[in-house]
Amino acid sequence: MKFDLTLALVDRPGQLLRALEPIANNGGNIISIIHEREKTAGTYVPVSLVADFPTYENYRKAKEDLENMGINVIKSEEVIERANITAILIGKLDFRGIVKTKIEGLRIVDFEVSAPTSKEACVKLNIEVPLELIDEAMKELKKISREENAILVTSM
Amino acid sequence: MKLLIIGFGFIGKNLANTIQQKIDLVKRFDKDFKITGVSDSEGYLIDQEGLDLEKLSRINRTSDYSGRFLEGASSLELIETSGADIMVEATPTNIKDGEPGLTHIRTALMSGIHVVTANKGPLVVAFQDLEKLAKARGCELRYEGTVAGAMPVFSLVNECLQGDEIVKISGILNGTTNFILSKMYFEETSFEIALKEAQERGITEKDPTYDVAGIDAACKVVILANAIMDRNVKLEDVETVGIRGITSEAVSLAKRSNFAIKLIGTIDRVLEVAPRLVPINHPLCVHGTLNALHFETDLAKELTLVGYGAGKETVSAILNDVISILKRRTEST
Repeated sequence: MKFDLTLALVDRPGQLLRALEPIANNGGNIISIIHEREKTAGTYVPVSLVADFPTYENYRKAKEDLENMGINVIKSEEVIERANITAILIGKLDFRGIVKTKIEGLRIVDFEVSAPTSKEACVKLNIEVPLELIDEAMKELKKISREENAILVTSM
Repeated sequence: MKLLIIGFGFIGKNLANTIQQKIDLVKRFDKDFKITGVSDSEGYLIDQEGLDLEKLSRINRTSDYSGRFLEGASSLELIETSGADIMVEATPTNIKDGEPGLTHIRTALMSGIHVVTANKGPLVVAFQDLEKLAKARGCELRYEGTVAGAMPVFSLVNECLQGDEIVKISGILNGTTNFILSKMYFEETSFEIALKEAQERGITEKDPTYDVAGIDAACKVVILANAIMDRNVKLEDVETVGIRGITSEAVSLAKRSNFAIKLIGTIDRVLEVAPRLVPINHPLCVHGTLNALHFETDLAKELTLVGYGAGKETVSAILNDVISILKRRTEST
């Protein structure tokens, strides 16, 4: 699990090394570090880093350890990698039903409808979905196509 | 070595013609090579000294070959009594029970005859059994012509990717559906008009269900999964959707977003044949009657083969299988 953390470090040699210790001790693998010197506030420098933790619990513990050391964690959020799926549904469709589809994390970026009143109507959807939810999203699209008695054509 | 051709239809005849044209090349691998038997539904021809290739290339049915024709005699009898070394099975595909090809192949292997099949049916129905039988009898069972016609699919994997793990295979495995979808893409015609043209050009049968419902592609998915991905799957394990419901509106909608709709067979965690949106710059986005196969492997990463999947070109794969057997067997003696 990747997390994006922004730490407020005192602008003094050795502070970054000190901050990385609890991350490493909790199994975190540092992917990137950016010193945001242009955003220095007083004696503090914001440092943004992305770290990959084996579990959520490891991340939580690392954050707790950082705070216990007096390091202020300004921002922390999970980095969710997303995939794009393009899908075309062919058949007489209830477009409103499709657009309201609820999968947690799934976002319909745009859609285009062709010949909406004919029985050969089709709708093209561009969907953004977290990488780990691709299978679930595909299952949901297949379910919709079955319920709507429509043909589903998805991108490779 | 002595060769039998079982089935004297389009493939059988074209194979006989090609061997006649390329006999000098074939004899470079085995100077004693000859075709000793040919069968069709009317009977069979046999000549232990070798049938006359010139005469064979001029006939349309075995009964047209004067002198060596046994009317009403069965292919099975020819296989059992011919004393041949290699059999090419080229009878029509039957995906329900694989017959009569399945019995022909079993009988040949039981008799110690190497088998080259252009017939998918027996492999779809009993791939693992036939592989085991061939191994037990010390025979070769080769089937390059069964998937994507002339494209060297199994040769590529077995000879050139021996250290690779094949993670995923996807591709266009049926030329008829690709012809129809290409026609719809370029000429914005309806499915019905594109299908009619495919029928007029003889690209598909009068009953096109086998092609357009995705069954032919699904058969190839089964063979690829069993032969390359070491699975043990049957036709009913492939989730199959055909192209009959694809409308010209859908093709246009896809085209506006830089996709072409293609019937794609996929082998990874799932086995599937379905119409998919293929980006127009993807190597699988080939048109007309072409087939294309895309391999994803752990070492080579990505490889794509493109070629003709049916028709006379398939003889290339069959002849290569025959020559491979000749080469290996003459090298080992």
